[in-house]
Amino acid sequence: MKKTFLYDEHIALGAKMVEFGGWEMPVQYKSILDEHKNVRENVGIFDVSHMGQVFVSGDEALNFLQKIVPQDVSKFSLNHAHYCQLPYSNGTLVDDLIIYKLENKYLIIVNASRREADVDWFKMNLGDMDAKIEDKSDEFSMIALQGPKALEVIEKAGIKKENQPKFFTISETKLFDFDIYLCRTGYTGEDGFEIICKNSDVVEIWKKLLELGKEFSITPVGLGARDTLRLEAALCLYGSDISEETTPIEAGLGWSIPKDKKEDYNGKKVILGQKNGEIPLTKKLFAFEMLDKAIARHGAKVFIDGRECGCVTSGSISPTLGKNIGLCLISFVGECEDLETSLNTNEKSIGTVIQIMVRNKLYNAKIVKKPFVEKKYVK
Amino acid sequence: MSIQQPEGILCSKSHEWVLDEGDTYKIGLTDYAVEQLGDIVFVELPEVDSEFAKGEVFATIESVKAASEIYMPIGGKIVEVNEELINSPELINENVWEKGWLVKVQSDTFAQDSLGLLEYEDYKEEVA
Repeated sequence: MKKTFLYDEHIALGAKMVEFGGWEMPVQYKSILDEHKNVRENVGIFDVSHMGQVFVSGDEALNFLQKIVPQDVSKFSLNHAHYCQLPYSNGTLVDDLIIYKLENKYLIIVNASRREADVDWFKMNLGDMDAKIEDKSDEFSMIALQGPKALEVIEKAGIKKENQPKFFTISETKLFDFDIYLCRTGYTGEDGFEIICKNSDVVEIWKKLLELGKEFSITPVGLGARDTLRLEAALCLYGSDISEETTPIEAGLGWSIPKDKKEDYNGKKVILGQKNGEIPLTKKLFAFEMLDKAIARHGAKVFIDGRECGCVTSGSISPTLGKNIGLCLISFVGECEDLETSLNTNEKSIGTVIQIMVRNKLYNAKIVKKPFVEKKYVK
Repeated sequence: MSIQQPEGILCSKSHEWVLDEGDTYKIGLTDYAVEQLGDIVFVELPEVDSEFAKGEVFATIESVKAASEIYMPIGGKIVEVNEELINSPELINENVWEKGWLVKVQSDTFAQDSLGLLEYEDYKEEVA
């Protein structure tokens, strides 16, 4: 199992470690609930060094990216971040990505567990295009600083608020004299930053941020709270909510996909067809809230009117709402075919009562709108 | 969890404790198990009068991350459940030996069922 350069810090902080995407990562330090709450109210610091960094450059970098993502990369502005997907030719997903447009190159953030699959897919799609793909994941570490007080911590660290990157942008800057990428992005639904730095600098950056964050009640936060935070914000997790079996439209990510991109891309026919309604969906991801007292976990079966029609992809308690929430994939095939018409718009689906099987008993839940907790992004 | 474990408890290798209270036996989870689970957010307890053999699942406890089944350390009939846990499952984290108990049972088989149980110190050594 791989260890991040912050491994010893986690152990020293008393973290409980678990395997995640081939990495040994902290799942919690003291309490998932407390860590979750502190990110919503103050600020939390996360080690996300398991995420990968792939740079794409060269004369045909743009053409290459245009081929592999549904987003229109020609419209990306300098230093802006974009949420993208990486579809196969049938429209289902190799991974989901954040792409930053930098001067003369692009920086792609990939999921830890998909790094090899992504790079293989990149290379397979490169053909004879004049673009260079450099997987630099082994050179960089990554820290996320999330929560309403993240800006103040970074200001205290020497970068004034007016010089901090705006929402969903990136800047190449210095933090404590170390060269970093400072990104106004995250995976919690809160305002905050992600800091990409050299492996050799990460321990010092981590320690300094924890130290000067004290007055803002900073706490280290593990993957346990990262998962409940992102679920409340209804952000998809690859491998749970999205996978090699779901298209971005089925996953409700159509908002990120333009209708008017001219260039062809992998899966375009299916993705655009589904987006335009020309190809009916065979399944769709919905958000639900439990009505009965039970927690529905990943894999739990979903029933509508007595018919088994899908399964839970993510499920947990929502520490912010004090309710049990989750995402589920509902199938529109076979005896559930009619659900396509009864659930195909938000107006129709929201409020629909479904049943979820937990320990061989059915519990009521209802479909609700996403996200569960409003995002606090400062745009 | 600074409160001392009650005198005379017996622990199972599946991390439950039993305390002989005269008429009934009180059953809970060990501090070690609770420490491993983390924040407990949901408890499903059996109905009063239901009967379980030693080793049967009688309750489910859920932490933020996962659900865990809880096994009877001895056989018996449930005579009382800790209703307070339904709305305050965190009592198990806060006070595992007193407020965090799960059920009270009557048992005719305690003598034989308790043979495989460990005294707290031996249990701690076993799981350490």
